[in-house]
Amino acid sequence: MSTQELLRRFHTVAAAPKSQMKKYLEAGEKVVLTAPVYTPEEIIHTMGFVPMGAWGADVPLERSKEYFPAFICSVMQSILDLGMKGVYEGASAIVIPSLCDSLKCLGQNWKYAVPSIPFVPMTYPQNRWGKVGTDFTRAGYERVIADLEKAAGAKFDPAKLSDSIKIYNAHNAVMRKVDEALARHPEITAAQRSDIFKSAFFMKKEEHTVWAEELLAALDAQEPGADKVKVMTTGILCDSPALLEIFDDLGLHIAADDVAAQSRQYRTDCNEDGDPLEALADKFSAMDHCSVLYDPDKKRPHTIVEQAKARGARGVVVVLTKFCDPEEFDYPPIKNACNQAGLAVTLVEVDRQMRNFEQARTALETFRDVLA
Amino acid sequence: MHFAGIDVGSTTSKCVLVQDGEMIGSALVDMGIGTAGPERAYSEALAAAGAVPEDVACCVATGYGRSSWKGADQTISELTAHGLGNHFLFPDARTVIDIGGQDAKVIELDANGRMANFVMNDKCAAGTGRFLEVMANVLRIPIGELEVLAAQAEQAAPISSTCTVFAESEVISQLASGTPVPDVVAGICASVASRVAALAKRVGIKEQVCMSGGVAQNGGVRRALEQTLGVPIAWSSQAQLAGALGAALHACHKSH
Repeated sequence: MSTQELLRRFHTVAAAPKSQMKKYLEAGEKVVLTAPVYTPEEIIHTMGFVPMGAWGADVPLERSKEYFPAFICSVMQSILDLGMKGVYEGASAIVIPSLCDSLKCLGQNWKYAVPSIPFVPMTYPQNRWGKVGTDFTRAGYERVIADLEKAAGAKFDPAKLSDSIKIYNAHNAVMRKVDEALARHPEITAAQRSDIFKSAFFMKKEEHTVWAEELLAALDAQEPGADKVKVMTTGILCDSPALLEIFDDLGLHIAADDVAAQSRQYRTDCNEDGDPLEALADKFSAMDHCSVLYDPDKKRPHTIVEQAKARGARGVVVVLTKFCDPEEFDYPPIKNACNQAGLAVTLVEVDRQMRNFEQARTALETFRDVLA
Repeated sequence: MHFAGIDVGSTTSKCVLVQDGEMIGSALVDMGIGTAGPERAYSEALAAAGAVPEDVACCVATGYGRSSWKGADQTISELTAHGLGNHFLFPDARTVIDIGGQDAKVIELDANGRMANFVMNDKCAAGTGRFLEVMANVLRIPIGELEVLAAQAEQAAPISSTCTVFAESEVISQLASGTPVPDVVAGICASVASRVAALAKRVGIKEQVCMSGGVAQNGGVRRALEQTLGVPIAWSSQAQLAGALGAALHACHKSH
């Protein structure tokens, strides 16, 4: 299969998650929705469910306003909107972590707004380090297991969790390699890059790993295209087709990302030895450099600068999801770190309801001129 | 050889022709994107320069409607255009404050006139020319009179800089409670200045500071901005043409 054919395959899945869910349900599988971020998919996977990412969609927000105020993260709003409109019907449950205030509201509202799909909370600790942190995280996982057993009649087998952990570690590894390969191939568009990451939310990870390995092989056999202006993106989401089209129109090559829905989730592996549930709690403890993870030292800005430099990015584009306070808090230190490192930085605000991207186009076009 | 720059804005269309580094013709039409304004501005600028379309070696479009102008050889963002235009008008300028019909931008220039940094406002009418239009309508006065009335104020009335709709209600309340119109107008100018000053401080104020765009013509806003930022603000009677001028200069550079 050619690179373009492989990329089209990723696009088909990324553009039609509903079809993908239908396919799994028709095959007799049970689907559990996983809201952002760091939902313990390994547990869901090992209990025999297909974890399917629920990160909302670029849709008009109508029903969710019955529960949410206007000025709150549109990712949360669109997840609830889709739930209330029945788009997720057929799912056995939804697991919603507690890593930001909006997510907590989503969970509480979901219980009443979408009673047909049971809400399973995953309560993470703010202090995730040491025994107290991992004990708290483990208790959260045990609650998820108990709730899923009750909601969907599945059984948790600790012995099988190790197998799921290996599958997820393998997927993490291949996605890190894909990210590195994409930095060497400017001919792969920003939209295609997004499809590769986004499709992973809607596929079993063992299946996605095979596709990603095939893509890696195809990219390795292909001469890189002509250089473009390399940039790094950071934020929660960067999947809007209209926004990605602007990157491609302007000749901007996303050579690295610190996007929560993309590379950020693949950085940390789980220890494959010992008690697997304990290892999973340790994995969460080891995660870092993220706006929704407590970090008194604010190491994330430094990580962004280092990665941008390592990939030869000439600037950093902060794709800020409107009303996402964790990301808004991180923006000033990111900007300062980039300025001190001599890296250009610009801010583009996005949300799930944007129809007109002219302001984003003007900002990115000007940013390209600054880089030139 | 002539070089044209056309700035298709949200409320106006501007065109400038340059030759040998000099402005030889310009036009400003009070019709923006989606109208015959750009065509008219182009024709009128050609007429002002005594030129015909065949004389134009290269045309660069800028502004909100830059992609819709079919006669352009190239497009550039309005920030790039205003940076170039203002460097031409004020070679020592390091900070350009551009307040247009529906947005506001602040551009930092380096010593060579190269754009070093920029910031744009959010999608909100507060702090833009549209805000002044809405308030002039509420007060039933021509927008050009805002400057004159603001100069007559004894004490600027407090007007919100957060939201145009809220500010409109506040203006009506101020009038209902008997606040003199000049004080209300001064408050309106201060509201725009407050919003734009906050934006400018995100980039950092480096002198010389100049103003660009249509709102630069409003002395009330200029003075309020000078007071808020604590620096003198240079402006040109051609401030509204600065984007088109920058586009024309870019066309000239591109062709050489």
